[in-house]
Amino acid sequence: MKTNENKFTLDEIADSVVSPIRLTRAERKLADAELAEARRKNKEGITGDQPLYAKVLQLRFLMEDYAKSEIFDQELSFASFLRKYIRLNYKANKNFANDISLKEAELSLILNRHRLPNEKMIVRLALHSNNLIPAISWYRVLAIEKEHELQSNTAFKEKQNKHVKNRLHFE
Amino acid sequence: MMQVLLFKTGEPKQIVVEQLAESDYKLITKSKYHFNWKEQKSNDVYKLRLIENEEILGLMSLKIHIDETRIEIVLLACSIENTGNNKMYDRIAGNLIAFACREAIKWFGADACVSLLPKTELKKYYIIKYGMLDAGRQIYLESNALFTLLKEYKV
Repeated sequence: MKTNENKFTLDEIADSVVSPIRLTRAERKLADAELAEARRKNKEGITGDQPLYAKVLQLRFLMEDYAKSEIFDQELSFASFLRKYIRLNYKANKNFANDISLKEAELSLILNRHRLPNEKMIVRLALHSNNLIPAISWYRVLAIEKEHELQSNTAFKEKQNKHVKNRLHFE
Repeated sequence: MMQVLLFKTGEPKQIVVEQLAESDYKLITKSKYHFNWKEQKSNDVYKLRLIENEEILGLMSLKIHIDETRIEIVLLACSIENTGNNKMYDRIAGNLIAFACREAIKWFGADACVSLLPKTELKKYYIIKYGMLDAGRQIYLESNALFTLLKEYKV
């Protein structure tokens, strides 16, 4: 059936448009109360792993948006995301380190930003999350940190200076 | 990577959903996008476009209800040429709704919810197409229904 106002069927409209209906303040209040009640009932049927699934997804989306920004933020380091990931399901870092076959001391160095993770660890992280956070998401967060370090570590660059000969010269 | 499909051939095309820029308002006229989008400036308005060009295929206005851990889809529309059976691309609206789900998860984690207030005659279509749950006047996505849509649209 085509609607008079726009020549599209209801199915076609639902496939292309969400347009609100106007409600009075009282009607709106009632609609919001209905929604809150439906959500309350729905929550009662939520099984054990759904909240964890949502929280891991949340972390992944935050990581992806941060990586997309391409701007280094001290508070959003690889270590800070990793710390949040561990806290979603572990009380002790030791148990997590054990589950990804890493020494606790090595995990500690990474969490305290004294060492950056290698690719092996990144792949293990992805596998641990059942690929809900893919390796590429971890890698992109790490890439921003590495890029920042390369740009800002002048002492390191100066140290390398003496190792370069026959440099290209341009007019 | 999120994708729309060429309606005639089913060929996938990569898309991006991003915040609408002030300069976009000149382009998004009511005749091309169904509604007066300038009225949505107080909300978060997003556009969907192909990665390969700047043409806006669809728009969505979101309102965040922080106290209720919910994002409301206030308005959503595909461009006129992508509405109806002669459209060029399919799955535009679904991708926009999936993007709203992504935002909701980002904001609210396990408590995330996306809702909309549909016209009564359209409610059942949204429930069938997007797996939305019935809450009387409003319909919504949360927990498994929301995760399913995210998977369906490869978010």
